[in-house]
Amino acid sequence: MATVGLKAFELFASRLSCRPPRLHVLALRSLTTTAATTPPPPNSRFVPPASLETMDEAQLEGDGFDVDRRSRRPRPESRRPVPPSPAFYTARSLYYDTLVQLQSALSLSRRALRAQHLLPLPPFALRALPPAQPAWANKAEMSLILQAPLTARMYKRVVMLLRELDQYERIARVADATELEDAITDITKGFESKKGIQARDTRIRAREVKERGPLDRYGRSYTVGRRKTSAARVWMIEVQKPKDSTSEPVANTTSILSSSNATTPPPPTSTVLINSVPISNYFPLPADREGVLRPLKLAGLLGAFNVFALVRGGGTSGQSGAIALAVAKGCVAHVPEVEPILKKAKLLRRDPRMVERKKTGLAKARKRYTWVKR
Amino acid sequence: MLPLSSCCRHATRSLLAISDSNAICTGLPALRTQVRNYAKARPGVAKPSSHGFSKVQKKGKGGELEGTDQVAATKRKRYTAFLPMPVAQLTHPLFETDQRNGQLQLQNFHPEILTDAVTSQALAFPQNDKDPFRIFGLPRNLLVEYRILSKPCSVIRDVTIDVINKLDAASLEGSANHRLVVAGSPGCGKSVLLLQALQYSYMRDWIVLYFPRAINLVNSTTSYTYDPRTLTYTQPVFAYQTLERLLTVNGPRLEHLRTQASVEVERRGTVPAGTTLVDLVKVGTKEQALAPTVLAAVLSELGEQTTFPVLLAIDDFQAIYCKTKYRDPHYSRIQPYHLSMPRLLLEYASGLRRFARGAVVGALSSTDTTFKLPLELAEALGLPPTSSGPYAKRVPELQDYAKGLSRVSVPDALTVSEATELFDVWARDRAIPAVPNDELFLAKYSESGGNARDFIWKGLLSTLTL
Repeated sequence: MATVGLKAFELFASRLSCRPPRLHVLALRSLTTTAATTPPPPNSRFVPPASLETMDEAQLEGDGFDVDRRSRRPRPESRRPVPPSPAFYTARSLYYDTLVQLQSALSLSRRALRAQHLLPLPPFALRALPPAQPAWANKAEMSLILQAPLTARMYKRVVMLLRELDQYERIARVADATELEDAITDITKGFESKKGIQARDTRIRAREVKERGPLDRYGRSYTVGRRKTSAARVWMIEVQKPKDSTSEPVANTTSILSSSNATTPPPPTSTVLINSVPISNYFPLPADREGVLRPLKLAGLLGAFNVFALVRGGGTSGQSGAIALAVAKGCVAHVPEVEPILKKAKLLRRDPRMVERKKTGLAKARKRYTWVKR
Repeated sequence: MLPLSSCCRHATRSLLAISDSNAICTGLPALRTQVRNYAKARPGVAKPSSHGFSKVQKKGKGGELEGTDQVAATKRKRYTAFLPMPVAQLTHPLFETDQRNGQLQLQNFHPEILTDAVTSQALAFPQNDKDPFRIFGLPRNLLVEYRILSKPCSVIRDVTIDVINKLDAASLEGSANHRLVVAGSPGCGKSVLLLQALQYSYMRDWIVLYFPRAINLVNSTTSYTYDPRTLTYTQPVFAYQTLERLLTVNGPRLEHLRTQASVEVERRGTVPAGTTLVDLVKVGTKEQALAPTVLAAVLSELGEQTTFPVLLAIDDFQAIYCKTKYRDPHYSRIQPYHLSMPRLLLEYASGLRRFARGAVVGALSSTDTTFKLPLELAEALGLPPTSSGPYAKRVPELQDYAKGLSRVSVPDALTVSEATELFDVWARDRAIPAVPNDELFLAKYSESGGNARDFIWKGLLSTLTL
């Protein structure tokens, strides 16, 4: 079943020409010529009923793939020219043909994947697929490819179909269905452009750089955070573990914190300096202090990094929020695995709330003047 | 408004009487000036209080601050320092009272065990009737802290051992060369260090005199009268209270001491040489007006004897170097060396008066912003001054009083092991509202930067995390 579907799809795919313009030029040429005896090219599929009489049985059967068996009728002897495509009279024939072809390709690949039990995928598997990295041509280039001026809606229709195809291709790639994958790639590569490929490469490189979170030669991360009108620049560096474990005087009491009676070295602690001032001096409010250290706490990195921040602008809680965002980004820079935790806690999101402007006719942003009855 | 001193009142009345009699002699009409009768304290009146028992005011006595519970309860109502419910009254099972009592097992603070091996350990202060903490009182923030905890305790640090070594040296030499001032950033543990020194010396058979809130000497809360004999303003009530407390705490030791010289007391003749110091103190406690003189005499006698070393411990040390809030008749502020009690402390702090054996230890405090560290004291101790500049004035008398003070610097941050011990004490005492795990400890230690007060008050007790 699977092979039948694949084979059919392959044949179908091979039918999809990568250079549709030439085909249609020929078709158009064939329409414009008066020679009635010139038969339509073998790759054309639709034959209007009136022209069927002109064509031979053999020519029809020679196609090998019958789109419409029901339309097989004895060919009349008329010499009317055959429009190359059913969408000829739409004046955007290639566009509509492409849509139809892509939809057929989609349904065939869907059938093939379903036969291999690769569809429908559960949501966790869909999320686990490698990310889509499209290199589709932009609207102008697509208009050239499809030989029709495209509106945004028309372009979007094409791109949506291509995206779905791309998803099936990714599924096939992950499932090691190489034939299906190559078949879909053959179709979709006709819609990629050089510019799109370049843009995709740039995006990939940028994401890699972002993911890596550049650390400088001393192993410090440099991140920026903003909140309201405050901006903070934060450098985070790993706490140096003491090489000599007996350097610190050790408490020899049993405490809740120590796991055993044996003398254990004290845990490393994070030092936080803000504008060269310890955090306890800079932020007198416990809430501000807790906000600054919350990313480290949630990520379990307390005592792992020392923090140095330069902050400017705004008030106390604005500065505290800015530093917290920068610290969260710094944690991700050092330990990328904590990103989902901090994202879930909404600590990687720049708080977009700003002071709302005052409006005319109102006392403040929302406050109205006292309503007077008369 | 301060009440007029009794001597001024008598003087006015006697003047009026004289003028009247003169007028009668010379035939002039007598001066008809108003004589005001000020309300007198009526002794022996029992005011019914809401607790259902009455507090009877004894004649002439001001009542101890930390004495009996009855007195303390009514006093607490006025002073509004936090007072927790007794654990026995928490009967609901939610409070887990049965699990609270035996949780905090700490070694007792004893001078014998105070060595380097015991640093970063918490030791509990002993609690008896005549304990210096109970009698002399405590600084307000430490009082509240020890009310939250089940028993007063403290963590021994390296500075504690340093100070104790210095006290041991001072017990052999005099206080002339052992005048220490404990300095450090706000909340680093200066008052607690002073308490540890106080307990240590008390247990080592020193005679201790402790002023937990020296600000009360200079903030115009205690009465003052002008004494023409000494040309200073005396503070009889405070002197009387000090004598009472000195007697209560050091009674048995003062029994052994006798005066070397006779002490002249105004209006009561002289106290002969050879009287026990206890009797001398009792002369001052019988009459408030004599208290300042008697106190000065007692301290000078203590300074001369060599049987027991003497510790004079002063918290809020910088307050006695600031201009006081008292006003003279011209409404200008009185300098501290013109008031009897601050002057006495300044003289011992500067070495003008000395103990033959003993030390003077003061602790700076930055809690009260109306009595900040003055420029003269900051310069003498080598600390960065709060106000400076080319036009800043320095009072030469205060500069003289600040000469020769040596500084004991308390580190700004607790070490991790000390902080661990402190955290442990609070956790075992069930005093932390959050779950006491290492995440909480690390978070609060980092947030406070190791500062002890911030670690406990703004960290553990102020956290909203569960």
